[in-house]
Amino acid sequence: MTVTQTQTQTQTRNRTRIRTENPAQDRPERQAKIVIRDVGKVFRIRGTDRPFIAVDGIDLDVRDGEFLTLVGPSGCGKSTLLDLIAGLTAPTTGEILIDGEAVTGPGLDRGIVFQQYALFPWRTALANIEFGLEAKAVPRKERRERARHYLDLVGLTGFEHRYPHELSGGMRQRVAIARSLAFDPDVLLMDEPFAALDAQTRESLQEELLRIWEKTNKTIVFITHGIDEAVYLGQRVAVMTSRPGRIKRVIDIAFESREGDLRADPRFGAYRHEIWTLLRDEVAAAQEQERTIG
Amino acid sequence: MADTLAAVPAVPATGTPAGTVPAGTATGTPAGTPAVSPRGDVPTADDRATNFFRVAAGVRSSALPRLSLLLRRTAALALLAGLWETLPRLGVVDRVFAPPLSEVLVAWYDLLVGGQLVEHFQASLIRSLSGFALAIALTIPLGLAIGWYRPVADFLSPVLELFRNTSAVALLPVFILIFGLGEPSKIIFVFYACSWPILLNTISGVRTVEPLLVKSARSMGLSPFRLFQKVILPAAVPTIFTGVRLAGAYSILTLLFAEMVGAKAGLGYLIQDAQFSFRIPDMYAGIITISVLGLLFNLLLVTVERRFSTWRTTS
Ligand SMILES: Nc1ncnc2c1ncn2[C@@H]1O[C@H](COP(=O)(O)OP(=O)(O)OP(=O)(O)O)[C@@H](O)[C@H]1O
Ligand SMILES: [Mg+2]
Repeated sequence: MTVTQTQTQTQTRNRTRIRTENPAQDRPERQAKIVIRDVGKVFRIRGTDRPFIAVDGIDLDVRDGEFLTLVGPSGCGKSTLLDLIAGLTAPTTGEILIDGEAVTGPGLDRGIVFQQYALFPWRTALANIEFGLEAKAVPRKERRERARHYLDLVGLTGFEHRYPHELSGGMRQRVAIARSLAFDPDVLLMDEPFAALDAQTRESLQEELLRIWEKTNKTIVFITHGIDEAVYLGQRVAVMTSRPGRIKRVIDIAFESREGDLRADPRFGAYRHEIWTLLRDEVAAAQEQERTIG
Repeated sequence: MADTLAAVPAVPATGTPAGTVPAGTATGTPAGTPAVSPRGDVPTADDRATNFFRVAAGVRSSALPRLSLLLRRTAALALLAGLWETLPRLGVVDRVFAPPLSEVLVAWYDLLVGGQLVEHFQASLIRSLSGFALAIALTIPLGLAIGWYRPVADFLSPVLELFRNTSAVALLPVFILIFGLGEPSKIIFVFYACSWPILLNTISGVRTVEPLLVKSARSMGLSPFRLFQKVILPAAVPTIFTGVRLAGAYSILTLLFAEMVGAKAGLGYLIQDAQFSFRIPDMYAGIITISVLGLLFNLLLVTVERRFSTWRTTS
């Protein structure tokens, strides 16, 4: 069985589902929060008129309250896909629906955590967290309180008045996460948020994120390069192909219970191996591509 | 691309970063002070130069290394003063043209007591501050508009490129023709010279805001106006300040020139007049005054700048 076959099957399955069930009419138990329908994005590259296809024919739906992780070779279009969901760029083809409505631009119903800590350097930790609340026109006093609450939540009590350059990388990322949580978006889009952290910090932030997710019931799309991280965090793992990125396979991660050391579970290893195998060919293809282009 | 006013292909790209000395402006300042990146903390030549005063004023901690630094820095000044005093006395240089420092200081004191120094100082200060303030008030908004609105940039760029390459000195006769020999022509002259570093730095400050920050703010649904107010402006402040500081130096340097060409008062006039009437110690007294004024002005601006950009300083 070839890669293309798998891919086509996945796509057909997704498409039929979208077409047969209209989330607005008959509400299934867990309706789709985000529907990505045949989405493609083409960039124009300066100096050439050859179009650059970043992602193509992406079909994926993310259920309400789901934690979905997304893996794929470097340059396959993961960040591009996240930007599209965020409404920061418009798809060239296809459409993206959130709660059944087409995305037309960014909004406070979605919060993004960027891979590089995109904190405002002239604002303190607290003021950074308040940023989204200001955009939402929350009154000053409530803003303060909420910002403090989320700062506590990510374990940074006492660092209110530090500027980003006075925080460590892990702390900055936690402030960025708190900022996205503070304005209470339904959807959290996270682009390799823990990639630049050491193993210990990463693990504790993973725990924290899971805890927050369980408590708040947000829908999370989480990009990562780490297969372990994808399996550990995700209820489902979406694997992308090399560029132009498509969804190659979506794998359900089902553990009997999340108690104890999940990583020691034999099924963890099995999932890990499955994803690794899926990715191996794609990474090789991506590297080949980069060689021929660059 | 952000360096020039806009991508106007017809105009030869001077490729100069923000803070460039407009061609022809007679200055001896650290030109080309680099436009500091929003987060970078590159100490400029000016910062280092002023560091001496912060040390001297005891603003920093009084640790031993600081003291030795202070000694090293004062040593050069002391040496200069010593040479100035002794060389004329030893006859190495002509005493008439370069009188010893002590004589100059006596002349300076006489001028101070006689009231002339205060009078000239005041005249100069009012002129340079007026031109400088005018430049800040008018040019920063203009720079913001050019940096932010593409159409404004496209419209104004050709004219600005042309004027930017026209020396202020070349325009002084025009200013005098139009505004007469009185105060307005001098203030306009200073204003013109001060405008360029402020304008170019403001434009570059707006254009070089970290795109990720803009993206991050946009993702939170900020309107273009709010984006400008809450992200572009604060991010551009340090770069704008670099321009303001350069302009501060220009305001004094260029005014001096105007006062030498035609004035009845001011430090430039004092220096020129003292030279014509062969009061050489007075001439040097004027020069020392203007140097100290320049230093103090820069020190003031650096202090204000630090206030505004505490978030940038590491250390
Ligand atoms: N604004 C843009 N203009 C042109 N090409 C772009 C643009 N943004 C992304 N690309 C290209 O699209 C492709 C996908 O980029 P993207 O950033 O989505 O990859 P990614 O999967 O997130 O990679 P990584 O895992 O390395 O972060 C890349 O080849 C990139 O060069
Ligand atoms: Mg990416």
